[in-house]
Amino acid sequence: MRKRRDGLGKLTLVLIAAILLTLLPLPKLLDPIWPYWVALVLVYWSLESTGGISLGFAFLAGLVLDVLTGSLMGMHALSLVVMIYLVQRFRARLRFFPPWQQALSVLALLVNDRIILLWITALLGEPVPTWEYWLAPLAGMAIWPWLFLLLDRVRIASRQQGA
Amino acid sequence: MFGHEGARTARLMIYLLLALALMAMDQRGHYVPRLRSALGTALEPVFHVVEWPANALRAVRTYTTSYRTMLEENRSLNEEILVRDGAAQQLETLRQENRRLRALLEATAGREYEFRFAEMVQVNLDPFSHQVIIDRGGRDGVFVGQAVIDGAGIMGQVEEVHLHMSGVRLISDPDHALPVQLTRTGLRTVAFGTGETSRLALPNVPLQADVRSGDLLVTSGLGDRFPAGFPVAEVESVRRDPGGMFAEVEARPLAALDRGREVLLVLPAGPADRAEETPDATAEPEGQP
Repeated sequence: MRKRRDGLGKLTLVLIAAILLTLLPLPKLLDPIWPYWVALVLVYWSLESTGGISLGFAFLAGLVLDVLTGSLMGMHALSLVVMIYLVQRFRARLRFFPPWQQALSVLALLVNDRIILLWITALLGEPVPTWEYWLAPLAGMAIWPWLFLLLDRVRIASRQQGA
Repeated sequence: MFGHEGARTARLMIYLLLALALMAMDQRGHYVPRLRSALGTALEPVFHVVEWPANALRAVRTYTTSYRTMLEENRSLNEEILVRDGAAQQLETLRQENRRLRALLEATAGREYEFRFAEMVQVNLDPFSHQVIIDRGGRDGVFVGQAVIDGAGIMGQVEEVHLHMSGVRLISDPDHALPVQLTRTGLRTVAFGTGETSRLALPNVPLQADVRSGDLLVTSGLGDRFPAGFPVAEVESVRRDPGGMFAEVEARPLAALDRGREVLLVLPAGPADRAEETPDATAEPEGQP
């Protein structure tokens, strides 16, 4: 019980870091390739931590992100819930993929997410985005193995502290 | 196993429905905007934290700017002030003339506005939000619906007011409509956002209306949201499809919607304006004989 709560605390810290990264003002060049940090962190935590994370947690994280980034309320919540659902569904398989295959699955998840977002923004009357819109999932895939190693370290440190 | 899977799918469905309901309510403006405004106020410190590295970087850059660059910038700014002062002198004469003419026509007194300076908070928002955050909030007297301009034209209106910050909805939002007027012909119409920061659409211009590219659009003041007479955009292209009912007019916003930093909040013309008007009215008969 105690151990789980410690993990949750660590997750919250990592999530806050991911949200800050998302909001960081960027030079124009970097802007389109900035990965979906919150999604990457939640996917990692959902795959690797013992309890995983619940859909409700993903939903709440999405709402916080919606408020902070000024997007339509519920947009990121929907996107993250769908993503975490897919991860939970295929968790057994994803966990034992070699890193490159896992990175490809992450790419598939992120592209799927972009398609959902595209559908929502199209309903809002937004113009179809340029090809740059699809760069962020690629960047997410490229960063996945490194993020995985980093978060592994953070999470295992938390477990040792809890014990 | 199957039951477990089914429960998960059911939960997914519930959350999806909840998210869709939230989106629909936010879009329509039911309850959710108030909720997000409250949440935004609670989360305001996050923006301060995010801005910190950018501010530090800027401070370092200012510190390391060479003396010579500063001197040059100073000189060019001084020159600009002189040029603007010259223009302002003429403006004063024009203003008095305008006031006299209005008195002659017995028209209502023109309004004069005051402005308050604000800076954009440097955060990376969702590009689909068409929002910027400025560093003035309820404590500084900002209110919902207040017009925000930059040096060149209308930028948008305040949508959410927090304690020390406010969210500004840009005129490029596809949901945003702005009553405008062509300065050349006086034609009144409405400029809609398109989702692109470099394009506004004017879908309600009649086919035979006299509109040319290069025409200036200013706010018409209808709708009581935006003060009248502020520049908005320049007509860029006019396409007349003989089969259609309306001309397809597109305009380019004059304000730097995607790269500005300093903005001005327009204060409503209050009683101070009327006080200024009264001595002028009494002065008028004096000059007459």
